[in-house]
Amino acid sequence: MIPPGFVRGALLCLPALVLALSLLIVSNRFVRRVQQRRRERRAEPVRGLLLELLCAEEDEQSELLNRLAAVDKRTWTALEPSLTALLEKVSGAARTALIRLYELRGAPEGAVADLRSHSAARRGRAAQVLGQLSHRAAEPALCRLLTDRDPEVRLVATRALGRSGGAESVAHLLESLHGSRTVPPPSVTMALVSMGPEVQRSVAAGLEHPEPLARAVAIEVLGVTGVVSRTSEIARALREDPSNEVRIKAARALGRLGMPEGLQPLLDAVAPGQPLALRIVGTGALGNLGAVSATDRLAELLGDPDRHVAGAAARSLLRLGPAGHAALHEAAAGVRGGSAAAQAGAALSEAAVQGRHDVRVEVAL
Amino acid sequence: MARVLVADDDADIRDLVAFKLTQSGHEVTAVEDGMAALKAAREQPVDLALLDIRMPGMSGLDVCRELRAAAETATLPVIMITARSQEGDVEVGFAAGADDYIIKPFSPRELSSRVTAVLSRAER
Repeated sequence: MIPPGFVRGALLCLPALVLALSLLIVSNRFVRRVQQRRRERRAEPVRGLLLELLCAEEDEQSELLNRLAAVDKRTWTALEPSLTALLEKVSGAARTALIRLYELRGAPEGAVADLRSHSAARRGRAAQVLGQLSHRAAEPALCRLLTDRDPEVRLVATRALGRSGGAESVAHLLESLHGSRTVPPPSVTMALVSMGPEVQRSVAAGLEHPEPLARAVAIEVLGVTGVVSRTSEIARALREDPSNEVRIKAARALGRLGMPEGLQPLLDAVAPGQPLALRIVGTGALGNLGAVSATDRLAELLGDPDRHVAGAAARSLLRLGPAGHAALHEAAAGVRGGSAAAQAGAALSEAAVQGRHDVRVEVAL
Repeated sequence: MARVLVADDDADIRDLVAFKLTQSGHEVTAVEDGMAALKAAREQPVDLALLDIRMPGMSGLDVCRELRAAAETATLPVIMITARSQEGDVEVGFAAGADDYIIKPFSPRELSSRVTAVLSRAER
C-alpha cells in the first residue's frame, strides 16, 4: 500500500514541476527571441547593402560585392540566414550575385571543410549550402556523406546532390538505398529526377543493379523523366524481373512513357494469376498509356472479382476517349454483368459530376 | 509613380520587393499578413496589390476575394506571389480574381517589369 504521506508529497510536487517546466519553456523562448533580435540588429547596417546588391544591374554589383564580402565574421553570421533563404527565392542576376558573394567570402571551401565536422548540424548545414550554391566540386564529398551516421545529414546530402551532382553521383545515390545507412527511396528518386537529362545514361545503368530497390528507383526515374528510349528495357523488367516492386514500378513507368511497346507487357501484367498490386497498377497504366486497343481488355476487367482492379479499369476507360466511354456505357447497360455495370455506372456518374472527361491522344498501335 | 501594397509574411521577400519597387519610383506600403493588407487597402487607396498566396491567418487568396467583393477595391490590380512547389495555386489565384502572378524564385528585374505591365494595363 502507498503511504498517504507519499501521495500528499507527490501532489504538492506536481504543480511545482509544472511551474518549473513552464518557466523553462518561457525562458528558452525569451533567450531565442533575444538572440534573434541581436542577430537582426547586427545584420541591419548591411541589410540595405544586400538588397541593393540583389536589385543592382550586373555592372553595378562589383563594389557592393566587395563591401559585403568584407564584413566582419559576426555580421556575416547574422546575415547568413537571410542569404541562405534568399538563394532559394531569387533567380537571375540576383542569384548569381549571391553565389558570387558566397565565393568571395570563401564559403564553399568552408562548407566543404565543415562536411567533416563532428557536429551533425554543421555537416548538414554545409551540405545544404553546397547544394544551394550548385557547387559541383563538392560532389565527391557529398557522395561520402550519403553514408553519414546521421540520417538527417544523409537526407540533406541527397537533396544537395540533386542540385549540384552529376553522372558521378548516380551510382552512389542508388547504393544509398540499401545497407545499414540508407536514404529513403522517394528522396533518392527526387534527387535523380532533378539532376535532369545529363544523368539519364547512368540512371539507365541502374536497371541492371543487383538490388531490387535500386532497379525500382531507376525505373521510376526513367518513367518520370520520360526516357522513351528505355521503353523496351522497362518492358523486359515488367515481364521478367523477380521482384514485384520492380514490376509494379515498371508498369507505372510504361503507362507514363506512353509508347506502343508498353501495351502487350501491360496487358500480360493485368491477367488473372499475376500479383494483385501489379494488376491494379497495370490496369491504371493502361489508361495512362492511352491505347484504344486496350479498350476490350479493360472492359473485361470491369467484371474482375477484385473491386480495385475493376475500379481501376473503369477509370482507365474514362481516359481512353470516345471508345472508352462507349465501352463504359455498354457495360453500364448490363452487357457484362451486374458488378461490371455497377463499376461502369459509378465511373460515368463521377465523370458527369466532375463535368469533364480526360481525353488522351490515341496512340497508333 | 504608383502606390503599391506588398503583403508577405517572409521578411526577406517583403523587404526585397519593397526595396525594388521603391527603387523603381513607387510608393510602397509593406505589411506581413492578410488582415493588415486588407486594412491598409481599405484605409488608403493603392494602385496595385502584391500578395503572397500563403500567409498565416488570412491568405492572399482570401484578401483578393475580399478586395474584389468591395466596390471601392473591386478593380484594384492584384499580383499573386507563389512558390514553384505550389504552382497549383496559380489557377485558384486567377479564379479569386488575380491579374497576374509571380513564381518564386523570381528576379527583382522581372518583378519590376510585371508590376509596370499590370499597372499600364490598368491605366488603359
